[in-house]
Amino acid sequence: MIWNPLIGKYGSCIMAALLFAGTLQAQAKSFLLQFRHRVGTAPLVKDSVYANSFAEPFSVHSFKYYISHIQALDAAGKKLEALSGKVFLVDQSDTASTRISLAALPAGTVSVRFLLGVDSTYNTAGVLTGTLDPLNGMFWTWNSGYIMAKLEGRSPASKAPGNYYTYHVGGYKPGQQTARWITLPVNNRQTLYVAANVLKWFNGKHDIMIAAQPVCHAPGSLAVLLADNYAEMFSVINEP
Amino acid sequence: MRGAAVILVLIMATGMASSFIARNKPRYGTTPMAMPIPKGWPQPVYNFRENQPTREGFELGRRLFYDGRLSKDGNFPCAGCHQQFAAFATFDHSLSHGVDNQLTTRNAPALFNLAWQKEFMHDGGVNHLDLQPLAPLTASNEMGETISNVLQKLRADKQYRRMFRAAFGDTLINTQRMMKALSQFMLMMVSADSKYDKVKRGEAAFTLAENLGQQIFNRKCASCHPPPFFTDFSYRNIGLEPDGTLADSGRMRITLDKRDAYKFRVPSLRNVKVTAPYGHDGRFFSLADVFSHYRQQHTTMPGVDSLVKNGIPLSNFEIGQLTAFLFALTDSTLLSDKRFGLPPGMKEAQFPDPQNH
Repeated sequence: MIWNPLIGKYGSCIMAALLFAGTLQAQAKSFLLQFRHRVGTAPLVKDSVYANSFAEPFSVHSFKYYISHIQALDAAGKKLEALSGKVFLVDQSDTASTRISLAALPAGTVSVRFLLGVDSTYNTAGVLTGTLDPLNGMFWTWNSGYIMAKLEGRSPASKAPGNYYTYHVGGYKPGQQTARWITLPVNNRQTLYVAANVLKWFNGKHDIMIAAQPVCHAPGSLAVLLADNYAEMFSVINEP
Repeated sequence: MRGAAVILVLIMATGMASSFIARNKPRYGTTPMAMPIPKGWPQPVYNFRENQPTREGFELGRRLFYDGRLSKDGNFPCAGCHQQFAAFATFDHSLSHGVDNQLTTRNAPALFNLAWQKEFMHDGGVNHLDLQPLAPLTASNEMGETISNVLQKLRADKQYRRMFRAAFGDTLINTQRMMKALSQFMLMMVSADSKYDKVKRGEAAFTLAENLGQQIFNRKCASCHPPPFFTDFSYRNIGLEPDGTLADSGRMRITLDKRDAYKFRVPSLRNVKVTAPYGHDGRFFSLADVFSHYRQQHTTMPGVDSLVKNGIPLSNFEIGQLTAFLFALTDSTLLSDKRFGLPPGMKEAQFPDPQNH
């Protein structure tokens, strides 16, 4: 029994450490990301009519997007820790999906970063499950790849059938990439309320008028412009 | 004493862990199926680690392949456009048919040797075999169904619940499992037993015509249609005048690169005897039509592949010999292998109007 004294010596320490870790986990407060969908500063209400900065009236019927690679960053913007390995689908029509509960932030966290969209690995991995199941309507079957974000509704400015405007934004290949990194300050908050302002889709880095571009259903230049715009839609707000 | 107690706890924990693992091992007894890799062929590109074919998965995939319920109106199974006797292409149809008396814009490609293929569809838009069936399934002018509806139909069917359990260990029926089962079935469709293959293996000899045809083939066709697949899987513009009614820019639809306009994937010539009509839109009803296309110059249309632009000189004599060789690529084993046929006890989906179909 050569190993006996060894385990005897360290075994209790291991057990104690395990117990301590368990207690810590039970005590540790989790970090919560709460998405709030907005039109400017007003709450987004399904099928209500708003106007964008070009005075185009529009309503929103569907608004959803993927969030992945949520990470905690330090003051220098360096990754401290991955907060989740999951891919979340935030959907305006499903309140539960706007609330993402994560492990507590590591000490020294100054900001959080996440990818709006899913990375190229998932885009080439065949059929996946859960939020990445193609049946969620966020996947192009004729041109393999995920729709990173989707904004759909109606606008009299749209000359498309039914006056619909439908922005299905995706693309992961070089030159067509539509996933965007988003970094938000935390300021010691346990719950971060993040506004997603749909007005930015029309007027962010680029001007995109519904009258001129009512439809985006494929990867490509329009999708990239829309992605540049939605990259600017998030901001931290005080409690609603 | 304290040490011994700790050891006891550790041993118990280990024991519990191992029995936990044992309990969670698949209880279902699947029979693995080996992927046939013909001698001299490269390794498949399909990732078998993610989806190991089993007899049970294969049989499930086979049933799904022949089940009309994967379509909106129940009349368009995969097998509707992918008929075994036509090497899983459609016999005698230029453009494939879809639900509600619709025509698609393309000819159904033959299905075989899919384990070696990286991209699918005439334009290569689909990047994984597991994803491919979702394209026709959800296209409004093909099977016209939604994934959720299909899953609902399958979940309501006792036999499917039984078959999913047999293949995957429990009755969970989801998109991924449905697609993995379909892949298991299609992966096994290996075409490597034509007369050409038998000659290669020293089991048969070419006729004089086939032999001459092979020599012509090697000189004039093999740069785009090299063995063993008889395609290099590239996308090429062979000078097919665009058809305004189809508005199909081919590969450019996927890459968005103007240089890829009107390029389509080079099809395999295996089983070419039974896969007529030819071309991505089935515009050539016979091999003679194809040969006459290649004999012509294609200098008016921009972007035509340099190998065919100036026409391929082919005499009538050469065409005869070439045809003999191409016919030697017919794999009657694949075309008649009962494993790939309608599952026993299953009724063939009835097309709404067999006359028109």
